Amino acid sequence: MIGVIERPAAAPPPVGEPVIGMVDVGMTYPNGKAALVDVNVSIPAGDFVFLVGPSGAGKTTFIRLVIREQLPTAGRVTVAGYDLARLRRGQVPTLRRRIGIVFQDFRLLPSKTVFENVAFALEVTGTPRSEIKRRVPQLLSLVGLHEHDDHLPNQLSGGEQQRAAIARALVHDPAMLIADEPTGNLDPVTSWELIQLLIQINAMGTTVLMATHNQEIVNAMRRRVLALEQGTLVRDEAGAAYEREY
Amino acid sequence: MGFIRFVAFAVVRAWQGFWRNAMMSLAATATVVLMLVLLSGLFIVIGGLNSGLSFIESKVGVTARLRDGLTDSQVQNLVADVRKIPGVKTVDYVSPAEAMNRLKQAYEERGETLNLGGASITLYASLEIGLTTPDMGAQVSQALSGRDEVAQITTRQLDYAKLLNIIGVIRTVGIAALVLVGLTVLFMIVNMIRIAVYSRAGEIEIMRLVGASDSFIRWPFILEGILCGLLGSLVTIVLVAVVWDPIQPIMVRVFQMPTAVSSQFLAVLSALVLGVGLGVGALGSWISVRSNLASAN
Repeated sequence: MIGVIERPAAAPPPVGEPVIGMVDVGMTYPNGKAALVDVNVSIPAGDFVFLVGPSGAGKTTFIRLVIREQLPTAGRVTVAGYDLARLRRGQVPTLRRRIGIVFQDFRLLPSKTVFENVAFALEVTGTPRSEIKRRVPQLLSLVGLHEHDDHLPNQLSGGEQQRAAIARALVHDPAMLIADEPTGNLDPVTSWELIQLLIQINAMGTTVLMATHNQEIVNAMRRRVLALEQGTLVRDEAGAAYEREY
Repeated sequence: MGFIRFVAFAVVRAWQGFWRNAMMSLAATATVVLMLVLLSGLFIVIGGLNSGLSFIESKVGVTARLRDGLTDSQVQNLVADVRKIPGVKTVDYVSPAEAMNRLKQAYEERGETLNLGGASITLYASLEIGLTTPDMGAQVSQALSGRDEVAQITTRQLDYAKLLNIIGVIRTVGIAALVLVGLTVLFMIVNMIRIAVYSRAGEIEIMRLVGASDSFIRWPFILEGILCGLLGSLVTIVLVAVVWDPIQPIMVRVFQMPTAVSSQFLAVLSALVLGVGLGVGALGSWISVRSNLASAN
C-alpha cells in the first residue's frame, strides 16, 4: 500500500539536537485559566513522542505554542533552532515550513483533488511549477496515494484522506511532523496503517510529535510519552505506556 | 522569477475569488460604476462651466456709452482719467463710425446686409474698458458713474458672478454626493472582501500552516478589490465614450457658451476614472484585509 520512500532532498537537523525546547513555559489565558504551568521539555531531532492527557489537559495549547499560533505568557519556547518569542512576523512562515501538521479532521480543501491539495501547499509558498510536478507525485507515492491523485477528498476513505493530509504536511520536508489526534476519525486497522506510515517518516529522520487518546497505540509502540494533566507535565518517560505503570 | 510567480498566483487567485462570489462582486462593481459615472458627470459639467467661465472672463469688461456732442479733448481727458482708475487694464475709444462698421461686419458675418431703408443713423460713441481681473467690474463701474460724459454703463460682471455661483454650488453638491457614494462603494468592497475572507477561511488556515507568507495570503484579496475597481472603471470609460458625442452639443445648448471640450479632455477624464476606480478598489480591499486578516500569522 505504501510506496517506495525517497529520502527528502533537504535533511532535517542532525539527530540528537533539540527540535522542540520548552523552558518554564506557562500559558494563562485572559480569562485567568492556566492552560500550561511550568512545562520543561526537550525533544531531540529524530524522536517519536506521544503527547497524552485527558481533554483540557493542555495538549492543544502545547501544539499551538510549538507552531507559534500563540506565544507563552511565561518561559521560552524554541523550535527548529528558532526562539519563538524573538521571531519576527516575517519569519513565522519560514518556521512553519519547518513544521508539518496534520489534524483529526484532515482539513483538506474539498474542491481540490488530492494532487491539487498537496500542490496547493507548494504553490502558496512560491514553488516553481516544475518543482511541484516533480515533488507532489513523490509525496503521493510515499503515502501510497499515487493512484488516487485525481480523486476529490470525498471520494477517499478516512485513512486515505489522512494520508493526503500527511503528504501535504511533508511538502516542505519539515524537521518535525505534528499529528493532532490523527487516528481520531479512523477505524483500528486504518489507524495502524497510518501509524506505520508515521514510523516510516520518523525513520527518515523527521521528528514526530503525536497528540493522542489512543491507548492501544501508545501502549504497543512504547515510545517516549509526555503526559499532561491540568496544564502540568506530570510524566516525561521513554518507552512508556499511556498510563503510569508504577 | 519568484516575483512573477507570486504575481501570477495572486492574479489568478483574485480572478477566481472574484467569480466565486459573483453576485457580491458584481454588485460592488455596479456601485463603483455608479460612483464613477457621477464623478464623470461632475467632471464634465464643471469642465464645461469652467471653460464657459474662461470665455466670460475674456469678455468681462465695462462698456461706457458716451453722451452725444463730446469734443475730442473731452474724450481724451476722459480716456486719460479712466486709465488711472484702479482695475483698468485697457481703454479703447469706439467712435460712432467704428461702431457702424462693427454693426455692418456683424451682419456680413451672418451672411446678411445691413439695410437701413435709405435712412441715416448715428450710433453712440463708447469706451471699451478692459479689466485687470473680472471682479474689478463693479469698482470701475462705480468710478465711472459720477462722470457727466458717460450716459450708460454696461458690464457682464453679473453673468460672471452668477456663473461662479453656479459652479460653486454644483461643485459642493457634486463633491458631497461623490463622498457619499464613495463611502458606499468602500463599504461594498470592504464587505465583498470580508465575505471572501470568511468563505476561504479553510484555505487561509492551510496557507498559514504550510508557511505561506503574508503577501501570498493578502495580495489575492487586495487584487480582488482592485479588479472590482478596474472593471468598474472600464465600464464607466466605455459608457462615457459612448455618450461623449451627444453630450457636447447639449452642453453648448444648456450653458449657452463654448465648452471647449476636446479629445484631450476625454483622455484626462478616462485617466481620472481609472485612477479613482483602482484607488477605491485597492483602499476598500486593503481596509478589509487589514481588519479581517490582522492576525494572519
